[in-house]
Amino acid sequence: MRKYLRLTGALMKLSLMSQLEYRINFISGVMVEMGWMLVKLLYVAVVYRIGVNIGTFTPDHIMIFIGIYVLMTGFYMLYYLNFTLIGHMVQTGELDMYLVKPVSLQYIITLRQWSFPMFLTNATAGSILIIAGWHRAGLPVSFVRVAGFLFLLLCSNLLTYSLYLIPNLLSFWIISTGGLDNIIAAMWDFNNMPCMIYGKWMQRIGIFILPVFVITNFPGLFIMGELRPFMFVWAVGAPVIFFIIARLLWKRAVKNYSSASS
Amino acid sequence: MAVIEVQHLKKEFSYYKKKPGLAGSLHNLFHRETLTKEAVRDISFSVEKGEIIGLLGPNGAGKTTTLKMLSGILYPTSGQAVVDGFVPWERQNAFKRRFSIVMGQKNQLWWDLPASDSFYLNKCIFNIDDQQYIHTIEELSELLEVRELMSVQVRRLSLGERMKMEILAALIHRPDILFLDEPTIGLDIVSQQKIRGFLRYYNEQQKTTIILTSHYMRDIEELCQRAVIISQGQVVYDDTLSKINQLMGDKKVLTLKFSEDISAQQLAPFGKVRECKCREGILELPKEGIRTTMADILSRLPVEDFTVTEVPLEESIALIFRKEGAVS
Repeated sequence: MRKYLRLTGALMKLSLMSQLEYRINFISGVMVEMGWMLVKLLYVAVVYRIGVNIGTFTPDHIMIFIGIYVLMTGFYMLYYLNFTLIGHMVQTGELDMYLVKPVSLQYIITLRQWSFPMFLTNATAGSILIIAGWHRAGLPVSFVRVAGFLFLLLCSNLLTYSLYLIPNLLSFWIISTGGLDNIIAAMWDFNNMPCMIYGKWMQRIGIFILPVFVITNFPGLFIMGELRPFMFVWAVGAPVIFFIIARLLWKRAVKNYSSASS
Repeated sequence: MAVIEVQHLKKEFSYYKKKPGLAGSLHNLFHRETLTKEAVRDISFSVEKGEIIGLLGPNGAGKTTTLKMLSGILYPTSGQAVVDGFVPWERQNAFKRRFSIVMGQKNQLWWDLPASDSFYLNKCIFNIDDQQYIHTIEELSELLEVRELMSVQVRRLSLGERMKMEILAALIHRPDILFLDEPTIGLDIVSQQKIRGFLRYYNEQQKTTIILTSHYMRDIEELCQRAVIISQGQVVYDDTLSKINQLMGDKKVLTLKFSEDISAQQLAPFGKVRECKCREGILELPKEGIRTTMADILSRLPVEDFTVTEVPLEESIALIFRKEGAVS
């Protein structure tokens, strides 16, 4: 475990150093993300302007959901690049040099490069929105709520990692997954509003079959005291189940790897 | 004692063909006929500890595929291999600590950062203690003459400098076995010489077992005592380099310089004329009786200078490839 923590530190440092090599690119990356950020904040502005309520949720509650969506986007963006590179590494045989290292291949391939410009803007804005929404909605701040919320965020991160890794593993068989990537990106954006705006069946699919709604909705519902016990169990169970699926698929995928001609 | 034992290794790849043009692409969209290619058909050999062997063969012979199986990158279709007591494709971490692979056309260094940062990453991956790490970096960077380049971004290094850094990165954990797949490809003569010199020294000092593939015969001649020649996925020769010429009929090459112009017809009675232009001629002669032939040439032709050499290794090897190709 210590080895992996040290390795993660080293990989983060190297990624940041690589990105800082290209100053203009780094700064423009932050700027572009801030632009996207403003677009996302427009949702909040619209919600407040029209004073929309979704069920029992006021605009302040909705701001928390949007904040979690933005924060989780930041976390996902931290390592998202690695997922998109899997196909390229399979196609070019770049994976070869990682297969011979005494380290978990899944770890080194999926958590090798860390993208900070996207993380910094999204994480900052997301955290501000959550704290502001929490405060404005007058929700209680207790140790249990904060700790439970952070724990569910951790679970959501594991779920995001597993859920979005699975389709990228198809690269080992079909090489190019550009079309799939677009569908995945669209699925992610379903979360920019609370899932209650969707129909019942859509909600069931998004919670139990492709649990994208679990990622941003469940931590928010927990803060608001609306997360029922069985949903809490699912919030913890889904990441474990999908991580196991991703792990098994990964092993199968790597066995299928045939490298590339030199 | 053999540290590498390979028995009847075989690797098949499946692929599909595509007819040229748009029609072929559309046809492929709905139906793809799967075909099988035998990249490695049946390869067996063994390597002793500390030995450097050259794995030779034309493009597509199966050299790189063999190295990839021996390093655990690929699973074989059938056959066995034991490398330093491990089955490579079980990919145990203990095995990965015992060997290293350098591929001339692939890199492990971070492109935008100095190589020293990638070395540090390898230090973390291989769990190398600080003292050993510092000592290894100092020693190897001195030997490879790259100490001054440690803080230069990899993208700014020349190809030769980059390859030296790749070799250094591969040796940080002091492997017992080193697989080198065309480590000098594309390098200038000076860089090739430096890398060869380093590998020879490193092998002598560390007793590292090395399997080397290269299309540059100088690499093979200077580093290897033994060659395993692969053609069409099979071993067609496994013996010392010196015996390759014997296999070809023990011939010598005689290069002559004359004081006046000579024709090919004048040279023909002495041996097989390889080249003849004005005052220079190259003859191929049987080793046996070369003294008599030489004396004859010297007495009958206006010879100014001459040299006798072995048939170039690449020619002998090319002949083996052609023979095997014809048989297959």
